[in-house]
Amino acid sequence: MLKEVSSAEFKELAGKGLVLADFFSTTCGPCKMLSFVLKDVEKEFGDDLSILKVDFDQNKELTAEYGVTGYPTLVLLKDGQEVGRLQGLQQKPVIVKLVQEHK
Amino acid sequence: MAVKYSFQDHLINRQAEAEAAMLKQFEEGHYTLQNPLVVYNAYLVNPLSAVVCFETEEEVAVEVTVLGKTPQANMGHTFPKAKKHVLPIVGLYSDYQNKVEIREYRGDSNVITIDVPDVFDGKKVIYSMDTTPEYLQDNVILVSPAGEDLAVAFDYAGDARWHMNVPCVFDVKRLKNGNLLMGSSRVIQMPYYMSGLYEISPCGKIYKEFRVPGGYHHDEVEMEDGNIICLTEDLRSETVEDMCVLLDRNTGEILKTWDYKDFLDPNTVSHSGSWSAHDWFHNNAVWYDKNTNSLTFSGRHIDSMVNIDYETGKLNWIIGDPAGWPQEMVDKYFFKPIGNNFEWQYEQHANLITPDGDVMCFDNHHYGHKEVERDQFYTANNSYSRGVRYRINTKDMTIEQVWQYGKDRGAEFFSPYICNVEYYNEGHYLVHSGGIAYDQDGNPSEALGAFAKNMGGRLESITVEICDNKKMLDLHVPGNYYRAEKLKLYSDGINLELGKGQILGQMGVTKEMETDIPLENSGEMLPERCNARIEDEIDRFTFFSRFEKGQLVMLLLEQGDEVHRYFISTTAVSHLAMCCGTFLDSDERNTRTSINKAGLKGTYDVRVIVDDKKYETGVQITC
Repeated sequence: MLKEVSSAEFKELAGKGLVLADFFSTTCGPCKMLSFVLKDVEKEFGDDLSILKVDFDQNKELTAEYGVTGYPTLVLLKDGQEVGRLQGLQQKPVIVKLVQEHK
Repeated sequence: MAVKYSFQDHLINRQAEAEAAMLKQFEEGHYTLQNPLVVYNAYLVNPLSAVVCFETEEEVAVEVTVLGKTPQANMGHTFPKAKKHVLPIVGLYSDYQNKVEIREYRGDSNVITIDVPDVFDGKKVIYSMDTTPEYLQDNVILVSPAGEDLAVAFDYAGDARWHMNVPCVFDVKRLKNGNLLMGSSRVIQMPYYMSGLYEISPCGKIYKEFRVPGGYHHDEVEMEDGNIICLTEDLRSETVEDMCVLLDRNTGEILKTWDYKDFLDPNTVSHSGSWSAHDWFHNNAVWYDKNTNSLTFSGRHIDSMVNIDYETGKLNWIIGDPAGWPQEMVDKYFFKPIGNNFEWQYEQHANLITPDGDVMCFDNHHYGHKEVERDQFYTANNSYSRGVRYRINTKDMTIEQVWQYGKDRGAEFFSPYICNVEYYNEGHYLVHSGGIAYDQDGNPSEALGAFAKNMGGRLESITVEICDNKKMLDLHVPGNYYRAEKLKLYSDGINLELGKGQILGQMGVTKEMETDIPLENSGEMLPERCNARIEDEIDRFTFFSRFEKGQLVMLLLEQGDEVHRYFISTTAVSHLAMCCGTFLDSDERNTRTSINKAGLKGTYDVRVIVDDKKYETGVQITC
């Protein structure tokens, strides 16, 4: 699953299983590129991974709660607990490796 | 309109053409001591140099003297006996009618005139030089670029006597053969990763380019056998500035590689105030110590100097504030301070080991604390930098501070980045604070030099030489300069050797974006507002273009079904380190993307994706 979510939806979905949160901005080139990368990552993991896209500028409280200070930032959650974090544009193998380490 | 295309031949090839033309003219004419051929800036890159050619009937040694503005400012050299004389002239003045005396050994002489234009275009390049001709003699203080101001060297009177008009950045070292070793002028990845190193004569002739697949940054060392230790990185990895290689001096091939992740775990090192996961070590200096057969690396972003065994790569010791390191590392590798007035170094540069085993560095003292003590960080206003010398005992793992200079000068001598110290002899040192920056209100800047300048600030460098605690030289110049070195322009070594230079080693394969952006060709040309151009070279090309902040941009090389993708970031990045801002553009919309031809074969169409459209450039690149 790959979808853009509000703060409320995020809180509802983030507590179960493996969740990759993508804190992005619509004014950021690397964030736009990362969206294409995440589509490839989604194909790799199917239902084993939920990718939730969070608009950095629209969800300030949530970004502060997760200590996100810049974009793009990927935060990997396992049953609601942070288990990994990547900052900046990443290639697919790096993201896949991080997710596989926590599957 | 198609994107502008130009081919820029390698400097070594252009210099070879210029030299061949000079020698042809020399052969075809009748040039004598009284009527020599004078070729100004013969090798194109040193506008304060020339080459003089003439023939004598008998073999004779010739002494050349560039006549200074005062007799103490003369610079000269005696060349071995010959009939055909091709003599480098270095140490000319800018914007001056230079007089150069050429004297045959026990024979005739002639004084020629070489008119040199204002090579600095009216720009002030020095505030003051305070020293004596007795102290500096015919040495110059050479400062290497960290910003838009290119390399320049000053004599005792503060006159510029050497300059390069191409951006050879970072360290400059004098080699045993008299040549200079410095960063090449070809940036292969922003912000400052260069293609490799140039071995170059002071008159500007490049004998060798040592191309390094991971590029060159910050520092290099000539080994006793002539091979070269060069700081580099793996441009295809997720981290930077954490690798070092040994280069074969004759072939440029890599003989040995040290990957710092083999002796340090990036996940457990402690952090300086400028740390980032990407630039976790930030290696800004390397030193080889023959007595212990070890290498010492300065890691700015771990506030530490790290020593490893040259042969095995095994970690020996770490000098730095132990705060934030795992206890087992502290117990095994760190030193305990003894004595009075001890202070650790923070975000240091230019570590070196003295003949008796002491360790020196330029302690930038940036932030003055580790990241774990962020609430205690010093502001620029309250900061200081210093040259410091530590005495270490590796048996009982103690460390003592035995000398420092600069702390008392406070913020006026504070450089949050770059800089160096040099050891000449006991009690005789150079301390170069080359990264001083003031904001637009005249206060010490929190921003590093390149950024402070772009925000309307002012940059300075101060270089001092200390002998037995007495200041013997004080050079104060506008602009930030990476390092300062004292040297003579003429050496007892090569000075000038004819023949074509060599391009050695290899470029690496440029990192590609694996993910595709699925778009059809629009058939439209890249819009003119992008102001795009492509500069092609023998082993790479550079794409210059302007995009709006936040646009999605990707450069594509397409040859049938073969596609190579290179992402171009249009997001202004807040750099925590910018040791060389020479290649930064004041307009953040302007991008510069260098693609090496290594790994590519054939002729490729260059296309560019901007947001949701794939554009043509009308340019093909042949690899």
